[in-house]
Amino acid sequence: MGSTSRRDFLKIAVASAAGAALAPSAGRAADKTVTVLHESSFIKTYDEYMQKTLAPAYEKEAGVKIAYELTSVGSLPTRASTVAETGSGADITMNITLMPFLFADKYLDVTDIAEEAGKAQGGWYPAGKESVFVDGKWKGVPFSNIGQLMNWRTDYFKEVGVTKFPDTWEELYEVGKKLKAKDHPFGFELGHGFGDNHGWIYPLLWSYGGAEVQPDGKTVSIDSDETAKAVDFARKFFKDCVLEDCLGWTDVSNNKAWMADQISCTNNAESILWFAKRDFPEIGKVTDQAQNPQGPKGRFHLLNAVSHSIFAFSPVKEEARAFLRWLTAEKHLGGWYASADSYYQPLLHSYDNAPMWDVEPRNKPYRDALANAHLPGWPAPASRQLAESVAKYVVVDMFAKACAGSSTKEVIKTAEAQLREIYKSA
Amino acid sequence: MSIRSESLIGVARRPRRAFSLAQWLDREPVFSWLMMVLPILFLAAFVGYPFFYGILLSLQDRPVAQPGTFVGLKNFIADFHDPVFWRVAINTFVYTGVATLLKMVGGLGLALAMNQHFRMKNLVRALLLLPFIVPTVLSTVAWLWMLDPAFSVVNRLLIELGVPRPGPSWLGNPVFAMFSIIMINTWRGLPFYGITLLAGLQTVPPELYEAATIDGAGGWQRFRYVTLPLLQPIILIVTLFSVIFTFADFQLVYVLTHGGPQNATHLFATYAFDIGMGGGQLGLGASIALTMLPALALLILALTLYMRRQ
Repeated sequence: MGSTSRRDFLKIAVASAAGAALAPSAGRAADKTVTVLHESSFIKTYDEYMQKTLAPAYEKEAGVKIAYELTSVGSLPTRASTVAETGSGADITMNITLMPFLFADKYLDVTDIAEEAGKAQGGWYPAGKESVFVDGKWKGVPFSNIGQLMNWRTDYFKEVGVTKFPDTWEELYEVGKKLKAKDHPFGFELGHGFGDNHGWIYPLLWSYGGAEVQPDGKTVSIDSDETAKAVDFARKFFKDCVLEDCLGWTDVSNNKAWMADQISCTNNAESILWFAKRDFPEIGKVTDQAQNPQGPKGRFHLLNAVSHSIFAFSPVKEEARAFLRWLTAEKHLGGWYASADSYYQPLLHSYDNAPMWDVEPRNKPYRDALANAHLPGWPAPASRQLAESVAKYVVVDMFAKACAGSSTKEVIKTAEAQLREIYKSA
Repeated sequence: MSIRSESLIGVARRPRRAFSLAQWLDREPVFSWLMMVLPILFLAAFVGYPFFYGILLSLQDRPVAQPGTFVGLKNFIADFHDPVFWRVAINTFVYTGVATLLKMVGGLGLALAMNQHFRMKNLVRALLLLPFIVPTVLSTVAWLWMLDPAFSVVNRLLIELGVPRPGPSWLGNPVFAMFSIIMINTWRGLPFYGITLLAGLQTVPPELYEAATIDGAGGWQRFRYVTLPLLQPIILIVTLFSVIFTFADFQLVYVLTHGGPQNATHLFATYAFDIGMGGGQLGLGASIALTMLPALALLILALTLYMRRQ
């Protein structure tokens, strides 16, 4: 009796010693953390879905902790620059706009993950590839577009006999003229914001056949008859349809003006309808959305893409890769998209008819706009030169100066000189 | 003779006192350096290092997240060929010049008014500091609303006074936009001037005024020949500070106009930030920021020399 108990005691002692020895290493494995840098979303449920559903599920499944680190709106590029420059701070980052092109050298090639996801989920929209494809490699896994579309007031348009959003810029101009005369002007940003100016100006330029640079990414081609036509249109559009204050607008301005019942049409992301429905339900009821009008050379939209990349210097590269692959699987991706209704428009075709599009049918044009969405600077692939041109507001200011009264010839000449200086290094 | 030399040897041979750390620390050169080490290290780390790194960056073609290549003065040459750069330079000088002048004159007036005796003087003085205390971003957002043509205090007032609706576009018109940022900067910086000059005013001995009055000086003469000369050193110092802050201003413009409309309000700091962080051209951005240096350095030098002479 006594001896068995002694043996038992020994067994227990050995077992617990082994357990104690093993426990820390088991603990370390679970301690592996992949830090994901993300810009705080307008849509609360979207960030919550990652924090409360996806991250815990992955930790349970793979034993790797996901630290979802949020930056405030607008500060993601600066924060990512710091991480890229110092080589620490995050393993995966969300990209917006031109980040994959600025940081390509510091990102892992994730072609395998992206192509796998494309194969499994109906294929990528060309816009998906355009948003992350650098020197023959997918430098990020595309996630979505945050489209910029036309938002219009159905009640005011009805007052001038229009029940369907105009199909061409010229038709929109005719409606705008009548509405401005009735004190319901349009509000199209021409100042130094980021999204809402580029959101309509590049598509306008393209739809008249203009382009700042040729597909080779080197030959500046802004000085063309097509550009001149687009600029001429913008000038009369501004004068007869748009609020003068738009020249000084930044990205918050049109939302403010919309909720204040000050404008009857603008160019914005879905968020404008979200906020109207939540905080100004009367305005939300009479807000509708439509694709950009077309010009003589077609219909275009701005690609305001979101994607995810892995920093090449990450100490947990393989874990980050595994997580990104897991996240890109339909089961998880679909849930994440759905958590934001359709604010993030999937760039994979298998979601074209997903239930998320039925939550708010007025958002469907954002899906249809994916087919002809491009990054600024298109038809050239995005580059660091393009990033500089955007940061200097060359194209926006070309249009803005014309709207403020300068001659078409003069504004194009200035823009061309600026672009030549910028693209010299290409 | 021999006695004397012996005694000398005795002095030389006297054993030295044991080294005492406390006494060593007590020596003035040691102690003062000890006190200065921390600030110097702090300055070197947070001012010196970024400054020299900035110079290094400005001489490189240095895209973000890529290694840089030395290009000499190429960035500065590119700046000089950039029409926006010259616009930004003019903007910055106009902004700094006008705003500083307004703050100086207004601040002096404010200080003179505050130097009078009236009821609740201390409360009013404290309240006057408010624009200076409120974080710039916060007060600028408030101004953003106040300058909105549709539902702003400013335009509402103007329309009541007979200006046709919707009133001026304060941030959409290039001239008005510059006017607006100058006004807001002045509003923000005035209390700093006012309070500092007020402190100066209070050090002026009342006897001097009495003497001047006895000599038959009027109000203006007392101000011109007593107050102003005595205030001069303080005015100079406040101006120096104010010019530096205004010249390198960032937040106000970034929040209010982001340099728009059509670059009419872009300043060196905002333009450099856009190129460096937005465009990812760290070298070019640094070169723009550094072009502020010569103008500021000259000004500081001139003022310092002047102060020395005083």
